[in-house]
Amino acid sequence: MLNQDAYTRAFEALLPSLSGSERDTRSAQLQRFFSAGLPNRSIETFKYSDFTALAEGAFALALKAPSPSLDAWTLPDCTQQLLINGHAATPTAALDGPISEPAHAGLAALNAAFATPGLQLQLERNVALEQPLHVLNLSVLDTPAKMIHLRHRIRLEAGASATVVLHDIGLGDAERWITQTLEIDLAANARLQLIRIQDESAATSGWFQATARIQRDASIQLLQFDFGGARIRNDLRLLLQGEGAECGLHGLFAPAGGTHVDNHTVIEHQAPHCVSREFFRGLAWDKAHAVFNGRIVVQPGAQKTDSEQRIANLVIGKGAEINAKPELEIHADDVKCAHGATFGQLDTSALFYLRTRGVPEATALSLLTFSFAADALQRISWPSLREFVTRRFLARMGGDLDAGELL
Amino acid sequence: MLEIKNLHATVNGTEILKGLDLTIQPGEVHAIMGPNGAGKSTLSKLLAGSEDYVVTEGSVRLDGKDLLELAPEERAAAGIFLGFQYPVEIPGVSNMVFLKAAFNAQRKIRGEAELSAGDFLAWVRHRVKQMQMDPQMLHRGVNEGFSGGEKKRNEILQMLVLEPRLMVLDETDSGLDIDALKVVADGINALRSPERSTLLVTHYQRLLDHVQPDFVHVLAAGRIVKSGGPELARELEEKGYGWLQQAA
Repeated sequence: MLNQDAYTRAFEALLPSLSGSERDTRSAQLQRFFSAGLPNRSIETFKYSDFTALAEGAFALALKAPSPSLDAWTLPDCTQQLLINGHAATPTAALDGPISEPAHAGLAALNAAFATPGLQLQLERNVALEQPLHVLNLSVLDTPAKMIHLRHRIRLEAGASATVVLHDIGLGDAERWITQTLEIDLAANARLQLIRIQDESAATSGWFQATARIQRDASIQLLQFDFGGARIRNDLRLLLQGEGAECGLHGLFAPAGGTHVDNHTVIEHQAPHCVSREFFRGLAWDKAHAVFNGRIVVQPGAQKTDSEQRIANLVIGKGAEINAKPELEIHADDVKCAHGATFGQLDTSALFYLRTRGVPEATALSLLTFSFAADALQRISWPSLREFVTRRFLARMGGDLDAGELL
Repeated sequence: MLEIKNLHATVNGTEILKGLDLTIQPGEVHAIMGPNGAGKSTLSKLLAGSEDYVVTEGSVRLDGKDLLELAPEERAAAGIFLGFQYPVEIPGVSNMVFLKAAFNAQRKIRGEAELSAGDFLAWVRHRVKQMQMDPQMLHRGVNEGFSGGEKKRNEILQMLVLEPRLMVLDETDSGLDIDALKVVADGINALRSPERSTLLVTHYQRLLDHVQPDFVHVLAAGRIVKSGGPELARELEEKGYGWLQQAA
């Protein structure tokens, strides 16, 4: 049962900070949330990700917290923007614009009822962001049953370009519930590289939804890296709406411990002559469970579509599990679509090759595991961030590989 | 140095080597030739420690010690190097990282001190130049996107860096143009010494024009059916293998 009392109490605490019109809109969203509820396993696309516990919980909105030392995440040559417990250091007004069709109405309505503005980036025509924008999105919580809801938006006008990093970090062991939505609009010829790093605390339930509308000759590269969390669901949707648009949707999920991480991606070719590439690598340690569902849709009229999807998985922990499924839905006849999913152990011939050179078996296995993940890590073109994420991955791997040498 | 006696080996239950005898003394270069399917690659991989093969009978001794009970990395540290017919690609792990890991691991197994980063770099750079390779290759993934010829050069580069005592080269000449063949042969010859031995496994005679063997053996149906000097290789080039297989 949905704990309406608790969510109503949380909403009442929010009311004083809202304007009159906003109260009405958000109250309506709260009612929508109450009628839709949160997804459970009876919904096909949430077969592996059950949010019942979040519906039943008594969550209160997280309060502002003082900033911890940011040294561990501060990168050179970028603009840093800080969000703590859903609150921006310098609050910005939310940009308006369409809200996309959600992966689940209840999740979207919950977010809409409670969300604070997170990243709000708008670039005018032909403006290029000179340095990457590094958004540190921290949850710093010592008391349990807190929730954070964020709404992000990126809008690039024609010919504008940017590199943006959304970096989620969870501090403290207290249980928390975080939802985020990100709406992206790329006008003709705009270029966006967006890297999301999800490194939540081990007690975090998180839902993240990104929708990108990509117009003529525009391109997006979206990289998703998952390291943390307890129960994580990402819904990533890229809509190729203008002729000649391109997208790359790549990433790595590397859960350990008891983490459950579920990535559902959709790439829709809605216009002719668009190109999409999707390459994901998945690894799972300990008793972690990873789910990957990658759907490619080619709409009627999207002729000359060029689409390729590859998903490779490596189960490391004896109690770990990965469920990965490609889905292809093609409604046009003149298209080039390739896809494939592999599940495997490390290549035994490569292991033998390394050992014949004197490399001990344990080190050889580490090098091959790193090599498997490198396919995703190397797609980060900003060197400082590539180094950061590589070090994070090596820490997850454990073992004796020297990050300094591998980079 | 290497003593193989009555070696029988199977893969997936099928016997490939059927009583092979071969003795290699320090400083000698032996060539093993033979038709496809004779067991040439089986022999080279088995010597390097592949777990794909099961030895059912016979012995292999290196310096009097049982080689078969050693792991591949221990065999490497003991001085065995296998140049692969099909070198493996390891994307994302640079050649430099790979060479350093191999070099230092072997020294560690042998109880020797590691080389400093600077000394090792100089050691490697010198050999890259010797193999006429672009130094930038050190920062590329191991064999990642290399052509067949580049992969073979890289095998010899690794060999020059690691300085093994017994070089086992499996079809190292295949896929090489004449210039690359010359560079590869020069690399092998540069390591020839009175203490070091070589086992060249090849289908064709052309590598033997550049690396002069002391002994040539013909392997057919899992056994050595004929042994001789360098002239045997030329005879095989003229007559093919048919006459020997009938004799076997």
